[in-house]
Amino acid sequence: MRKLFATVALLAAQALPCAWAATDPAPAPGPAPAAKPASKSTADHTKFKELQQAFKSGPEVTKACLACHTEAGKQITHTKHWTWEWMNPENKQVLGKKHVVNNFCTAVPSNYEFCTACHVGYGWKDANFDFKNETNVDCLVCHDTTGGYKKLPGLAGHPAYKEMEFPPKSGKMVKPADLAKVAQNVGPTSRATCGACHFLGGGGDAVKHGDLDTSLKNPGKYLDVHMDAKGLNFTCAACHATQGHNIPGSRYTPTAADKEAAHMRGKKDDTNAATCQSCHGQKPHKATGVRAKLNEHTDKLACQTCHIPQYARAQPTKMSWDWSTAGKLKDGKPFTVKDSGGHDAYDSKKGDFRYESHVIPEYVWLNGKVKYTLLGDPVNENGVTKINEFFGSPDDGASRIWPVKVFRGKQPYDLESKSLLVPHTAAGYGVRDDTAFWQNFQWEGALQAGAEAAGRPFGGKFGFVATEMTWPITHMVAPKEDALTCTQCHSKSGRLQNVKGIYLPGRDANPWLDLLGGLAALGTLLGVIAHGALRIYMNRKAG
Amino acid sequence: MLKFIGGVAAGVVLTGALGYGMADKLMFNETMSPFGVEETVARIQHNIQAAGNGWTLSGLRNPARAVQADGGNTLPVMMVEACSTKYSKPILNEDSVRFLSILMPCKISVYKKNDGKVYIGTMNAGLMGKMFGPLVGEVMGQVAADQKKFLEMDPKKPAPPMIVPKAGGEGGGSGGGGGSNC
Repeated sequence: MRKLFATVALLAAQALPCAWAATDPAPAPGPAPAAKPASKSTADHTKFKELQQAFKSGPEVTKACLACHTEAGKQITHTKHWTWEWMNPENKQVLGKKHVVNNFCTAVPSNYEFCTACHVGYGWKDANFDFKNETNVDCLVCHDTTGGYKKLPGLAGHPAYKEMEFPPKSGKMVKPADLAKVAQNVGPTSRATCGACHFLGGGGDAVKHGDLDTSLKNPGKYLDVHMDAKGLNFTCAACHATQGHNIPGSRYTPTAADKEAAHMRGKKDDTNAATCQSCHGQKPHKATGVRAKLNEHTDKLACQTCHIPQYARAQPTKMSWDWSTAGKLKDGKPFTVKDSGGHDAYDSKKGDFRYESHVIPEYVWLNGKVKYTLLGDPVNENGVTKINEFFGSPDDGASRIWPVKVFRGKQPYDLESKSLLVPHTAAGYGVRDDTAFWQNFQWEGALQAGAEAAGRPFGGKFGFVATEMTWPITHMVAPKEDALTCTQCHSKSGRLQNVKGIYLPGRDANPWLDLLGGLAALGTLLGVIAHGALRIYMNRKAG
Repeated sequence: MLKFIGGVAAGVVLTGALGYGMADKLMFNETMSPFGVEETVARIQHNIQAAGNGWTLSGLRNPARAVQADGGNTLPVMMVEACSTKYSKPILNEDSVRFLSILMPCKISVYKKNDGKVYIGTMNAGLMGKMFGPLVGEVMGQVAADQKKFLEMDPKKPAPPMIVPKAGGEGGGSGGGGGSNC
């Protein structure tokens, strides 16, 4: 018997799929090098005389661009990418990077020269930046196709114009951008150009969003069916269809429920072009069999809930950040500690972190309304302060259940005003600044400088408060075969176990209904048995 | 007599059914890890290196990568492979049980499930060994004792780095050589 058992077990083990047991397949022979395809553009920028000059700075390039693209500068200066400011018309909150506080690097004021490496402009180094000067617009950061243009933190939005050591004292040298070459090779935006900022938000690769990181520069189908580099190969702009440099899709007012039909070419449509429904419509599944049932879920679920089963599927994303432990030194010097996977677990400059890959999202009702905790707003000292609060309910007709990344952390707040503080962390390139936390590791001076730059009072006493920031998950759409199955939600410990307000078969039960059903089933069984027994008895009696 | 035979038959069927139903839980163990996938793997690897008795790491496999390469998704799975010639040699030298080389090297699987938690899967070496006679039973019993040590994790100790084999390791297929002497 024991041997039989063992043999069965071994046979079963043998029968398991063992894709991993084979060695890596040899790469398929690549195609012969093809001739450079003809450009689809109607203009060859290398032939433009305006661009055939030795540019010394970014604004010089912009002047040349604006000589032909006369309206581009005006368009840009009206966008959030330029102003970093936007007022929510519903609650009148003034948002935008210039005003919001997050629980990553926290805030822009006092850190302009560093943060504005991701501004679509040149020279924003303090609160006096001229937002009306169109020649400060950076055309190249979005339209570079060479990969040779990079804005460095600390240069107030400029690229390197001469060879320089970056990061300072690292021994690594950065060559200056060849501005003429970049200018003569401009083209449409790409995943690489958008990703130069959006993949690196929060201070590094895969830190902020969870569904946006550098793995999307050249993703496989498993990671995103739309951006699959060997398949549909969507750029960001394929969904975020831009008009007059205005890019749809905003986390300040996310479109929680798009009730419109699919967008049609030629038809005037001012709704968000970046929703799933704008292409797939309201009934995206085949209207036969079990798939028809899926269409009945679209009034409660965002498409992303089923079709993004996990995020950070190519590399881990940062899940928490504790600023309260920042500032520790070893032998008077800052240090870092790596986790088992080689990601930062501690940095004297920033505190403790935790990374995770293949993260199962949390799920919340969202109706598109979001409220931020801004500077001056009270924090919850005894609990968790929500940096942004998503609103929604199952009854308002406007909400859907959305997958979200909830980023948790601890960050400084003023013990007197009971509101969040802005730490002054970074100074300009090569600038010695005794109040910058990343130089002197002293909180008091850094928080005082941050408060002054933000125009906020600071009583001198501070603490650290627990915070949460919520991010909708909408990229990294998996192949349809990998979408959630029914039982992953319709079960007691399923994905939606914490979503309230709906009756979910498989998860929820009414004890009285269950009792009635049980009694009915039992009664039926007893009835059948009694009936059968009576028939047998009567038959024997008659025979 | 008929009642006796019927009772024995019923007992055999019942025992068989019970064994069939419980076989997976008897043959394999699954425990939850308090750490992430990479940290769990790293802690097991370092425990193996510190276990003595000739244990060495012989590979780290990532079957999820093969699924990704094929355009699909699966939650993270990593398999730590370890070997000790002290235990493998006597089995490999005995023709009647040499087929058990199929179980070598010793594997410990670390994986995430849909509840977001990380689990460790191991073979119940002690029980399985007993099925193959005294030699294998004794060897596998010792393996099982060492295997327990592999899974002892002290949260107070800092997370060690994961050991990624240099030659082709941590891929979808090849285990790579981690200095194994198996």
